[in-house]
Amino acid sequence: MSPALRRYIIVRVLLTIPMVLILVSLVFIVLRVLPGDPAVAILREGASEEQLASFRAALGLDKPLHVQYVEFLTGVLRFDFGYSMTRKVPVTREIKTFFPATVELALASMFVTAVVGIFSGAFAAQHRKSPADYAIRILSIILYSLPIFWLGLMLQMTFGTGLGWLPVSNRLSPGMAPKEVITGLYTIDAILTGDWALFKDAASHLVLPALTLGLVLAGIFTRLTRANMLDVLEQDFITAGRARGLRERVLVYKHGLRNAFIPIVTLLGLQFALLLAGAILTETTFSWPGMGRLVVDRIYDRDFTTVQGAILFFALLVAGISLVVDILYGFLDPRIRY
Amino acid sequence: MAETHSSPTSEVENIGLLGRFWRGRIWYGTEWYITTFGGLILLAIILMTVFAPWLAPFDPNQFIGAQFTPPGHGKQALLARAGEAPPVDLSDLSGQVIGVQRNRNGANLARELGAKGKRYQTQEDLLAALLDGEVDLIFVDQELAPEIVASYDGLEIVAEGLGRSYPLGTDNLGRDIVSRLIWGARTVLGVALTSALFSSIIGITLGLISGFVSGFLDRVLSLMMDSIYSFPGLLLAIAMVVMLGPGLLNVAVAVSVIYIPTFFRVVRGQVLSVKEELYVEAARSLGAKPLTILTRYIFPNVIPSVVVVFSLNVADAILTEAGLSFVGLGLPPDVPDWGYDLSKGQSFLVAGQWWLITFPGIMITLVAAGFSLLGEGLSEILNPRLVKG
Amino acid sequence: MMTNDVLYRIRDLVVEYHTRAGILTAVDHVSFDIRRGEVLGLVGESGCGKSTLGKALMRMIQEPGRIASGELWFDGMNLMQLPPGEMRKLRGSRISMIFQDPMTSLNPVQRVVDHITETIRVHQPQTSEKAARARAAELVDRLGISRNRLDDYPHQLSGGMRQRVMISLALALRADLVIADEATTSLDVIVEAQFLDLLKELREEFNLTILLITHNIGIVAELADRVAVMYAGRMAELAEVHELFERPDHPYTRGLLRAVPNIRLDDAELYKMPGSPPDLVSPPPGCRFHPRCPDVMDICTRQAPTFYENKPGHFVNCWLYQEREENVSLEEASS
Repeated sequence: MSPALRRYIIVRVLLTIPMVLILVSLVFIVLRVLPGDPAVAILREGASEEQLASFRAALGLDKPLHVQYVEFLTGVLRFDFGYSMTRKVPVTREIKTFFPATVELALASMFVTAVVGIFSGAFAAQHRKSPADYAIRILSIILYSLPIFWLGLMLQMTFGTGLGWLPVSNRLSPGMAPKEVITGLYTIDAILTGDWALFKDAASHLVLPALTLGLVLAGIFTRLTRANMLDVLEQDFITAGRARGLRERVLVYKHGLRNAFIPIVTLLGLQFALLLAGAILTETTFSWPGMGRLVVDRIYDRDFTTVQGAILFFALLVAGISLVVDILYGFLDPRIRY
Repeated sequence: MAETHSSPTSEVENIGLLGRFWRGRIWYGTEWYITTFGGLILLAIILMTVFAPWLAPFDPNQFIGAQFTPPGHGKQALLARAGEAPPVDLSDLSGQVIGVQRNRNGANLARELGAKGKRYQTQEDLLAALLDGEVDLIFVDQELAPEIVASYDGLEIVAEGLGRSYPLGTDNLGRDIVSRLIWGARTVLGVALTSALFSSIIGITLGLISGFVSGFLDRVLSLMMDSIYSFPGLLLAIAMVVMLGPGLLNVAVAVSVIYIPTFFRVVRGQVLSVKEELYVEAARSLGAKPLTILTRYIFPNVIPSVVVVFSLNVADAILTEAGLSFVGLGLPPDVPDWGYDLSKGQSFLVAGQWWLITFPGIMITLVAAGFSLLGEGLSEILNPRLVKG
Repeated sequence: MMTNDVLYRIRDLVVEYHTRAGILTAVDHVSFDIRRGEVLGLVGESGCGKSTLGKALMRMIQEPGRIASGELWFDGMNLMQLPPGEMRKLRGSRISMIFQDPMTSLNPVQRVVDHITETIRVHQPQTSEKAARARAAELVDRLGISRNRLDDYPHQLSGGMRQRVMISLALALRADLVIADEATTSLDVIVEAQFLDLLKELREEFNLTILLITHNIGIVAELADRVAVMYAGRMAELAEVHELFERPDHPYTRGLLRAVPNIRLDDAELYKMPGSPPDLVSPPPGCRFHPRCPDVMDICTRQAPTFYENKPGHFVNCWLYQEREENVSLEEASS
């Protein structure tokens, strides 16, 4: 690792600190400072004064705001999100149970998004202003305009209940269970333990949710790739390559894409928020037991601590991801590496 | 030579606004068609929201028909025993005793006509009642009539096409889906436009200040905005709605918070680049006040991007609002809303009642796509960065 | 090394761009020859179509532009008839190009050596990666870049070194014709001088034919054997370098030469040509230079002159030197 790259990474890591602080404060403001009493929001109107008071006392909501804020921050720093109000287990344990499902869904969707998006975006850029370009552009707008849950339901209707090809809910069929949970991603665990029946089952459950989320995001990704490819293909080194007799295919997919990929990776980091937001809806649609489900279900269960913990976890997650993406960027672009 | 040299400009000046717009198709090509297409979709939807009371056949909350009437269904046929049809005046069936099936459109129709409906649980019971002479007339769904007549001897169709049909069917409570879609457009557009308005006002103001002032304030604001931007928007909206409680304004506020950073980033970037332009430098050196520079020189340059971002954000806000409703956190149940209909309709999908969710979904897609197409087309037209010549 | 043997014959070349404002004729009926072994300077103001002409010679005009008509004969081959695949093989191997800005003309995420080996291997697929690398090393050695810079990325090199890399790419396959398009514009004066010296050396060594496209008359004077002057998409004048500098015929060339700063003419004020180059979408009728011409005549506003060999080897596109055939209808009538 060169000194420049090391310095770059250190700066990025340091920049993550204020970001985490701001995100955690944002969550604090939304959950504690904004009008709307969590006790009332969770217990609903009609709860007795004693119930409200004991709820507030249990969460420390009766203390002054600045004290709450300090307790809140120290809790986050110690990675202690308190106890679930309905399950009587640490919230971190709940997150540990539900998070791998979200990771599995997110990775599979990202794969779909990247394959569809990069190919169609590069193709559209290469054939700019051709009918294929316009078709891809309009199709990508329509894809992105689809409500994720609606696309999910339509796919369920077609391939699930209609054709009966694929399961439409949960991660595994009833009775199936991984012999050993290693990563928590059932498809990966199945490969690691060589359990092919489990792999087939887990993968078939994963197809529709991943397709749903992946296709919708592919709409954005196509547009990003196309725009960045157009920028790159306009540049002198492409003309220079053409003047050296390089094939168009090589110019577009080797020289063009490699350069366009650098800004795309940065944008991908920003799109991660969309991926997680989309995952919440996808999980709800497909009864996929991930973090999104956890949040939505526990809102109904009035489990304030778990909801708060899960949202905080999301905040830490996006900060972590943006750090990872920035570091990746450093490795991708030689202008930073040296 | 001389004519061709000067004609394009003078001609454009002489035609009206619409004419000039129509000319645009030659100048901008496909982008023009994309924009216009998006615009037309939106125009149709906006007209729909404005004229909802006149366009919608029914009250969106009224249990007007039977539950789960499929699209196009609802009309009834009147059956009697063959050759024994009592002489009835088809224009006035009140006072007649008509056999109907429970929870079917025939039951509603009999009630509306003032006829005395005799209710039966199943279709078999209904037909048996007619054949046994318990009643002389029965209502059956028009679509089923020919099949019934063919499979049961001794029945004939007295009249057809009675009552009304529901072009897109009815939902699980017997509400007319067309009416719900039309009224729902009001809710969806109302929330999306309000939230985009909120976020644009705050985002533009902060962006102008941040880009113009620079320094520490700029850095802090940028970091804050980047943080909000990197947070999953829907989750933020969910958290806010949980805290604020359901309601149109609360949803609009929750959704607007997500999109403030988008406006902020675009405006700030524009300000930073415009600030360096020579004419701004010139104005500054001539002693123009910062506020004058900001409002007179910088703000007008920001407008094109803001228009584009606004359009794209409305599209996104529509999807977020629908998402909120879908997870059950949006609006009170008495407000007709596409996302709400979708979330309620999904449980009936397995039973084959596809029309409950299909049409609201199409509407959401259509409106979101309309705003996206408009924004996309406008961005190519207003920022012709890639258009040569 | 100049001979009278013609390497590249260009006849009636027309390049058009389809823009929103209308059809822009960037190169309008241009005809000239490039002789084997010569350095032909091509000068003109920016926007006069000289760079477009350079690209057209490689058939590299991109949408929305196109070569509307004309003939391109390179070494006996009719390039306009060549299928795109064959044309591509010609680029970089027999005709190559050096670009204006070596920073942006090199792929920022590709190592220097990979640029060269890629070029060699696309034209000679049988060459192994190792052999290509050896050749690349030899080449950059010759051009005065040390071998250990081969694995650098473009941004790690200085401007002069990058331009040498560009030359090495142009020479990698011993191209017959090198088109240098404003190749020195982005270099500072000292590096530019080194670059010109290098080009002189290489010209002898590799027996190069060079088309030197530039707006810098000084470079042309130093390097070129013959000079072509372009104005508003048309050839204005073409002659041997001394002939042109000493006896310019076209009023535009005269104006251009008087506008060149010269340290020897200390007191004389620089000539400023009146007016500005025309809009190529709707150029003035007749001779395109007439609105700015000090010697304008009645006929100039109505008919375009032809590009005509006024004296042996000295072509000029001006009514001052032509029979005024009022009734001859020329292509200008159509515009």
